[in-house]
Amino acid sequence: MAWYDMSPEATMEFLPLTEPVLLILLSLAGQPRHGYSILKDVEQMSDGRVTLSTGTLYGALRRLLDEEWIERFKEQESSRGRQAYRLTARGRRNLQFEVGRMKHLTRLANLRIAVKEA
Amino acid sequence: MLRLRLYQLALRLYPALYRERFGEEMVAVFRELQAEVVSRGVLPQSRFFVRETAGVVAGALREHGRVWGGEHVWLLFSSRRFTMHTEFRFPKATAVLMTIILAGVVLAIQKGEAIQASVPYANPPVGSIHPVHSTLLPGVVIGLASFYAAGLIGWAILFALRRSGVHRLDETSAK
Repeated sequence: MAWYDMSPEATMEFLPLTEPVLLILLSLAGQPRHGYSILKDVEQMSDGRVTLSTGTLYGALRRLLDEEWIERFKEQESSRGRQAYRLTARGRRNLQFEVGRMKHLTRLANLRIAVKEA
Repeated sequence: MLRLRLYQLALRLYPALYRERFGEEMVAVFRELQAEVVSRGVLPQSRFFVRETAGVVAGALREHGRVWGGEHVWLLFSSRRFTMHTEFRFPKATAVLMTIILAGVVLAIQKGEAIQASVPYANPPVGSIHPVHSTLLPGVVIGLASFYAAGLIGWAILFALRRSGVHRLDETSAK
């Protein structure tokens, strides 16, 4: 299957996303961020439950860059010219796909639990 | 400072291309994180350092595996218990053990360098050197091959009895 294949089947190859990857993508969904900012945002979003090491973060960023879900650019505002990351159209689409999948699962789970309790 | 130096040393475990691509950034982020935990006491600092080093060691292994044989080749070295999951979860105990081993290797190198520096002329003149074939390497290779062969045979038996992880997962899903 080619990497540029945007079909649902191709997307499913990468889903479900691991929690760290999902949190990294959600962190970048709001605004572009650099490495440290992503780590802090992931920690905050998960109420301190997920604390990524730099090794884990950059391993995930490397894979996401290679799959073109995110892209890297030099921060203009930063005096140090730090590298920052942002979602690509492909990454945003796949994130939406994953969130939709999770919504469906949650809805289904709620229905099943409700039926069982009734 | 020592921790930063050790972290930079640990980064050398990554393939050169990966280091060129992310090395500087990783050090910069490590610096920022370290500056943040420095006021929190010894335990949080130690926890932070162990987590960082373990992350680097695990990441370096994964990257070497990818360079060596593709994105998922290193899953061959994990047990079915992990590969049954949709993601690979690196066992914490292994990460800690690897960190201790790494620290031991780094300390041994430093100790060796210190000894070398303290002895001005440690190598007496020797005669002609005859090559000696090591018996250790073939032993290690045979040992690893036997280990994986035993694992494969065990898995094949479980598969034939329909008791492998895949079958058990199927049974669980069918219930």
